[in-house]
Amino acid sequence: MCFPRSSDEVAAAVGVARRHGRAFVARGSGTGLAGGATPLDDPVVIVTTQMNRVLEIDPQARVAWVEPGVLNLDLSRAVGHLGLHYAPDPSSQQACTIGGNVGTNAGGPHCLADGVTSAHVLAVDVVLADGTATRLGGLEPDSPGYDLRGCFVGSEGTMGIATRIAVRLTPDPPCVATLLCAFDSVEAAATTVSGIIAAGVLPAALEMMDAPITRAVEDFVGAGYPRDAQAVLLAEVDGLEGGVAEQVDAIAEVARANGATLVRVAADDAERALLWKGRKSAFGAIARIAPDYYLHDAVVPRTKLVEVLRRVYEIADAHEVIVMNVFHAGDGNLHPLLVFDQREPGVWDRVHAAGTEILEACLDAGGVLTGEHGVGIEKRDLMPRMFSPDDLDAQARLRDAFDPDGVANPQKVLPRGSRCGELQRVPEGTWI
Amino acid sequence: MTGPLQLDAETLNACVSCGLCLPHCPTYRVTGREIASPRGRIAAMRAVETNEAPIDDAFRAAMEECVSCRGCEPACPSGVQFGKLMETTRAALPSPRSRVRRGAEWFGYRVVLPRHWLLITCTWLAWLAQRLHLVPARVGLPRLSARSLARGLELPTGGTPDAWLFTGCVMDAWLRDTHRSAARVMGATGARLAQPTNGGACCGALHLHAGREAEARALAERVMQSMPGVAPVVVDSAGCGATMKEYGKLLGSADAHAFSERVRDFSEWLAHQAAPRLRPTGIQVVIQDPCHLRHVQKAHGAVREVLAPAYELLETADDGLCCGAGGAYVVTQPELSRRILDRKVEALRAAGGGADPIVVSANPGCMVQLRGAGIDARHPADLIAEALDE
Repeated sequence: MCFPRSSDEVAAAVGVARRHGRAFVARGSGTGLAGGATPLDDPVVIVTTQMNRVLEIDPQARVAWVEPGVLNLDLSRAVGHLGLHYAPDPSSQQACTIGGNVGTNAGGPHCLADGVTSAHVLAVDVVLADGTATRLGGLEPDSPGYDLRGCFVGSEGTMGIATRIAVRLTPDPPCVATLLCAFDSVEAAATTVSGIIAAGVLPAALEMMDAPITRAVEDFVGAGYPRDAQAVLLAEVDGLEGGVAEQVDAIAEVARANGATLVRVAADDAERALLWKGRKSAFGAIARIAPDYYLHDAVVPRTKLVEVLRRVYEIADAHEVIVMNVFHAGDGNLHPLLVFDQREPGVWDRVHAAGTEILEACLDAGGVLTGEHGVGIEKRDLMPRMFSPDDLDAQARLRDAFDPDGVANPQKVLPRGSRCGELQRVPEGTWI
Repeated sequence: MTGPLQLDAETLNACVSCGLCLPHCPTYRVTGREIASPRGRIAAMRAVETNEAPIDDAFRAAMEECVSCRGCEPACPSGVQFGKLMETTRAALPSPRSRVRRGAEWFGYRVVLPRHWLLITCTWLAWLAQRLHLVPARVGLPRLSARSLARGLELPTGGTPDAWLFTGCVMDAWLRDTHRSAARVMGATGARLAQPTNGGACCGALHLHAGREAEARALAERVMQSMPGVAPVVVDSAGCGATMKEYGKLLGSADAHAFSERVRDFSEWLAHQAAPRLRPTGIQVVIQDPCHLRHVQKAHGAVREVLAPAYELLETADDGLCCGAGGAYVVTQPELSRRILDRKVEALRAAGGGADPIVVSANPGCMVQLRGAGIDARHPADLIAEALDE
């Protein structure tokens, strides 16, 4: 394990790994949920937490150069006095690093209107698998040639390690309003989500929580989340004052039309912050219900939300596991949480079976495997469920172009057998 | 599951490893090492508790690196009681191998701290050494005052006062003038005060943090006896106050719970009295929340409330991260303590607009730590006493 402080030291660490025939894995704060930073087969772990400086801020161009170990929220704080912020805001934003965000192409509640990490990364200085350093992308509005920066963002450390990142800074909106809407059923909340978008409103964020998770976060933050609601929606709109007021009215109207039992607009910044703290603490608050959880991450078309959610609850019931839903409703990014106590015998099998079925239900509804957490180890073997052998082969060859020896975070993202001609997995019991 | 550390299984299980505690941990912030974070320490405790790892020097070092600031507790969405886990773990660690260290700990915890007269004698010796320029500045010993040491606190001892002013051990020896300020301010509200019957005693906080639970319990019993009755027990040391508010948990008795209910931080008590008249000074003051006031007592709001009429208050942008004093931590982990302090000083200067600001801190440990770094650190009681409009 090593803690480099500069790009040169990262390159040196990669060099040492290569000389000793080891793979290498980059690690930030270790808040990832798909096992992307989990070291497999004793690699050199290159921890970026000491590379935590904001190197350069250009308020005119609204660009900052940062090291990969800078914490997401620290970056927003560092530019707050300029009326700017870094828009992607994963729930773990107070703890997760920008480098990790780049690796997973992280999202967050406010990515509904602002776009995910890739839309906010202009350039990346990387150390490649052979130890050389290069810059992908650039600050100019349209870099000539292929968008290798776009390949790198979301590559989960399989194409090298980011050592300096140029991020776009977003101006703080002049006016923000946050609405809390409560419903008697999950369906009513989900229908409201589609209704809001259909009404022509694109909120800055649109989040949903079901009853058990709402109660758990309310126990932690005391933000005034209704404990008796079956589902709550948290909607945020921003922009110019007049436009915001109009959008608040439009959202409230759709919510009431769908039978909302409560529509409340946060009175001030403090209340707004508390509501968001609740939403962003949801996963961590799970231990108030059971000691272990398995958090999923899939995206379904917004119009299918109601039926997919119904299916999720049915699958969990059938496998006798508790499921809770807290997610980015606006972009159909589901986060079903399977909650359990691993000391209960046999529970792992039920949780895994339920998890796989849920993901398949999402795929069947026209969804995708991951919205923002990445593939890592967790979803790797489900990739063939979504991609054809040709798709996987193309991805494997792209990866090979960056890392021909397969030493950068091996065994992640792509399942064994992704390359054409590579021995496909042999079914158990087959004679060869 | 109860393993070698005797940790409560449910408390240990409450951590889901989400990592939201990391940025709130001072040692993680300065090292970036997982094992120096609450999540890493809990993982290590689990490994030992399930017999996957031994209690070795690495484990001991990892546990001793924790400042016990408990900044991770309010940050934890699952409400993990990290302080309890750490205290229990430390109590289960075998005594250190180094004889010098064992001797020094015995002398400090067993001999000096419980005997206030001895602590005062040692303080006189330190005063003498200081005058002879034998104490290097980096030790961070505050400038001791013979005038203050020679003069007792002008308060009746025992009786049935309206409020007790707890005097403590090190605070009474090194910062008795702050007790005088506290007494003056409290007196200005019209309250009749008294000090504990034994004149001054250690509350056991340092022992508890060091895993010396039995000694802490004995000291807690003695403190409770020294302030009988129902009157509030006012404490002007945030670290002591936090521990005294947890005597109920420590001792488990009804008496201890009742005593803990009576404990108030100085500012917390003052905020609930008829406010003494203060004149606005126009002076800017940066607030440094002692960890045990903010994370444990959650009484840091009161400091702002009582100071606001007289001072212009400035906040730091570091989420109330620790200053690295941590009771005995500054002595046991000087290097980490210094790095945490450097970060704090930077945050305080930034809050003060770049120049060296006046900093208010309600804990003697923090005051001494910050003064060691050249910061003009004052106690809320001192600042309010200066602004009293008498």
